[in-house]
Amino acid sequence: MRWGALILALAALAALGLTMGEVRLGLPDLWQGLWGGDGPGALTVRILRAPRMLVALGAGACLGLAGTVFQTLMRNPLASPDLMGFTAGAALAVLAALAAGLTLPPPLLSAAGGLAAAVAVAALAHRRGEGLAPLRLVLVGLGLGFTCAAASAFLLQRLPGPEATEAQRWITGSLAARGWGHVAQVWLPGLALAALLAVQVRALTLLELGDDLASGLGLRAGRARLRLAATGVGLMAAAVAVAGPVAFVALMAGPLGSALTGARGAGARLAAAALAGALITLAADLAARNALPGVTLPLGLLTGLLGAPYLLWRLSREMERGEL
Amino acid sequence: MSAAPEELRAEGLSLGYPGRMVIRDLDLTLPPGRVTAILGPNGCGKSTLLRACARLIAPLAGRVTLGGADLRRIDSRALARRLGILPQQPLAPEGITVADLVARGRAPWRGLLAGWSARDAEAVDRALAAVAMAGLRDRPVAELSGGQRQRVWIALALAQETDMVLLDEPTTWLDLPHQIEVLRLLQRLNRERGTTVISVLHDLNLAARHSDHLVLLGPEGLVAEGPPAAVLTEPALQRAFGLAARVLPDPVSATPMVVPL
Repeated sequence: MRWGALILALAALAALGLTMGEVRLGLPDLWQGLWGGDGPGALTVRILRAPRMLVALGAGACLGLAGTVFQTLMRNPLASPDLMGFTAGAALAVLAALAAGLTLPPPLLSAAGGLAAAVAVAALAHRRGEGLAPLRLVLVGLGLGFTCAAASAFLLQRLPGPEATEAQRWITGSLAARGWGHVAQVWLPGLALAALLAVQVRALTLLELGDDLASGLGLRAGRARLRLAATGVGLMAAAVAVAGPVAFVALMAGPLGSALTGARGAGARLAAAALAGALITLAADLAARNALPGVTLPLGLLTGLLGAPYLLWRLSREMERGEL
Repeated sequence: MSAAPEELRAEGLSLGYPGRMVIRDLDLTLPPGRVTAILGPNGCGKSTLLRACARLIAPLAGRVTLGGADLRRIDSRALARRLGILPQQPLAPEGITVADLVARGRAPWRGLLAGWSARDAEAVDRALAAVAMAGLRDRPVAELSGGQRQRVWIALALAQETDMVLLDEPTTWLDLPHQIEVLRLLQRLNRERGTTVISVLHDLNLAARHSDHLVLLGPEGLVAEGPPAAVLTEPALQRAFGLAARVLPDPVSATPMVVPL
């Protein structure tokens, strides 16, 4: 029932996103544009808006899944790959390759950068005997994230003018100029990794009971944790490779999805997070394109505006619960 | 629950971290089909020993065997079908209900893609009935009292249907009536199903009343093992705890009762 409402909201936003913009289309134009014809409607929808919308859906869903994987693994709603600096690391890798003139596929670069950031954060936050405390991970990750963002900003300064404008994406996150190639770039790895994640849902369900009990129930907890974290980094990287380090989607999607659907089990929460991530990204992009007439704001700016108050609210709740 | 119970043995077992040995060169046999309590002062390595017996930590030296085979050579899922462990502070996922939590005990019996079978459902029902929680199966675990919650965790271990259950301080946060309730439940489980029960306990008198076999550890390692009357003696208590005490027969159960001086 509530799942239906979430999917309906997603469909409505998608339709709205296809019709709204600098060129306003009526529903008949939209219908015609989707299924054939070659009027202005067709051009707008098929070249500009449909791929952009599909990239938004794919990237949002990937970020939602990645965020929920890490939040569940660390048992902490703050432990999302954006706060832990993974997205900033992934974006820095793409930008560094761009600045160095290397032409490697962005998803690979982003995955390598994300993985490097994750390993660095884990190594810096790790303490013998205590393992990885979620809060320490988040604080170290924030620091690493700022460092990566600063390095990205520095690299951006050294790029020539036109490239620099385009490369702005790797600082704030944006869906400008996304075509069908980018749709494939996020959906193919995204679907493959989501399938890989589906097989690991049972492991995640056991890890929720704590590593000791999970081991006692026959799971190799350490390995399962690593595999899940690697899948999470991959999902995050698939999103960053097409949209840049979009802020706070990974942080918000899980809790929003669970609140909207009432999902409790790990599998259901992941599905809800994917939908909610897509919803947030789509809504933010719609606002980014239509908030100011004649100006398209970067997507990351809007998710930042949405996410910052959420983060403050979440922090205050964690403080009340005595977790901070 | 069908084949002859297998014994768990520590052979030349050393545990701890490099530089901080907690258990040194321990040889010990935990009798199958009995209720055993591991006792000793804080920091003597009771929990460490129990965790090593469940393969949650690797030995620095020596080995733990189950039915003669080194634990490290047994496949994880196969081990989880023979030996269950209830750790000291297991975590209940947010919002989970009693039945859902207990159902997770079925994990070692379920194939990767296999669905929920009738046998799984029966095992959960039996486990809930055994701890008298069947009526509360749909309640969120977070709403239960401490004693009820502990019964749910024990039900999870029962749903795992192992011949041997290891429990790390199962009574620690409970008040006296609930402690007795848990210990009686474990004893009944042993008598009715033949399950080997091994737990780490703090209360010497309760352990003596509700166990067949005691293992007493001290700062220097194993102090005594055997039936309660043979283990809880005045010199043994002095060695293990540095405690001067008189040991009298418990007026109700006739098991040894420790009265500190």
